[in-house]
Amino acid sequence: MSVFMDLNLSFSEDRSQLQSLVEMAAHLGFSTVAINYVFEPTAKKKQEIPVPKPINELMDQLPIVQGRSRPIRVLNRLTVVMSDSSHFRPNAAEYRRFDLLAVHPTTEKLFHSACMLYDVDIICVSVTEKLPFFFKRAPVNGAGERGVVFELCYSAAIRDSTLRRYTIANALTLMESCRGKNVIVSSAAEKALELRGPYDATNLYPAAEGLLFGLSDADAKEAVSSTCRSVLLHAETRKTASGIIYTMKSCSQQEETPESEPCRYSQEPVNVPQSSTVDVLTV
Amino acid sequence: MRRADKTEESAVYQRVVLKNASPYHYMKVCLVLEDASTRPSAVELKQFIITGLKSLYGEVGAALNFDLLKYDENTLTALLRVCSRGLVKLWSSLTLLGSYQNQICAFRVLQVSPFLLALTGNSRELQLY
Repeated sequence: MSVFMDLNLSFSEDRSQLQSLVEMAAHLGFSTVAINYVFEPTAKKKQEIPVPKPINELMDQLPIVQGRSRPIRVLNRLTVVMSDSSHFRPNAAEYRRFDLLAVHPTTEKLFHSACMLYDVDIICVSVTEKLPFFFKRAPVNGAGERGVVFELCYSAAIRDSTLRRYTIANALTLMESCRGKNVIVSSAAEKALELRGPYDATNLYPAAEGLLFGLSDADAKEAVSSTCRSVLLHAETRKTASGIIYTMKSCSQQEETPESEPCRYSQEPVNVPQSSTVDVLTV
Repeated sequence: MRRADKTEESAVYQRVVLKNASPYHYMKVCLVLEDASTRPSAVELKQFIITGLKSLYGEVGAALNFDLLKYDENTLTALLRVCSRGLVKLWSSLTLLGSYQNQICAFRVLQVSPFLLALTGNSRELQLY
């Protein structure tokens, strides 16, 4: 079995709040969390894509995951809220600083292209409004084949009963077309008390009597563990060139030169697999 | 078969086998409140859980049979007994309970078991040397 992950913790400027959020996630048994930066472009003025803060700047020491005696892994994730096709720029250099890339399409056309074309890891399903479009089988299946997953967040359902209704309704429509596969469940929590444990999240999705979100027991557990893992692996593939050359964070630089900026992607390929054909390709 | 029965007659223990049909499930839950000075009483806690059930599942859900067996007001830890068919409903309504008297709260489900005895210890809190 894969470890538990929560790939959506809302970023806030308040450092202590973010710290308590990560600490609570570790206490509840999540081995990996991702801090989510939301980028919502508007037509009127040009906005900057947020820059992720290095994790060691946010917290001094990472908390130990309950029951695993290992520190929690914290990633960065960018969510682009799209209302127009120009809002997502493929191959933008700013996106490369993030470990995970998600889009939140608001129209059916954008949803279709997000599923079939865009090089992203996660497609967010709206939980704060009634679904403005219908999930068609073709794009949903296409996303499944490409390894792109859909995300459902539950913290809105905790906050408000109207949003809870929308969450459940949208989740059920999604489940109808994707049959429980390729779905991850995350919190989108802003405060520590909005987080729930992995088993609580699993329990929200049983199909037992057509309850709530309508996933089967096995699918529900996969939604917080192994599907999340495949998302991370899918995110890794965005950093490879044809699966041969792999760029990685050069965190080791930090020890040699503490003044230099840590955790930046090096532009050259660093880790080349042991294969004789590769050398020709890298040159 | 019969001979085996005879030899086992003197045994002092009784073996109970439940094949996925235990009538009740037991949950150990802990209520976490934003303001730690608020201490709901046992009656208030049960009422609060029923409100949660009612807001998620309506009148039918509020009619679910569950009991508050034990409640520690200092740690806000409670032991609940619920008939097995209602476990998912009770658990999901506890998960989606988010505010108590206009302050944020969360139910942490510590342990769930079909056997009450299993809740006497928690393997995650063992101190191994």
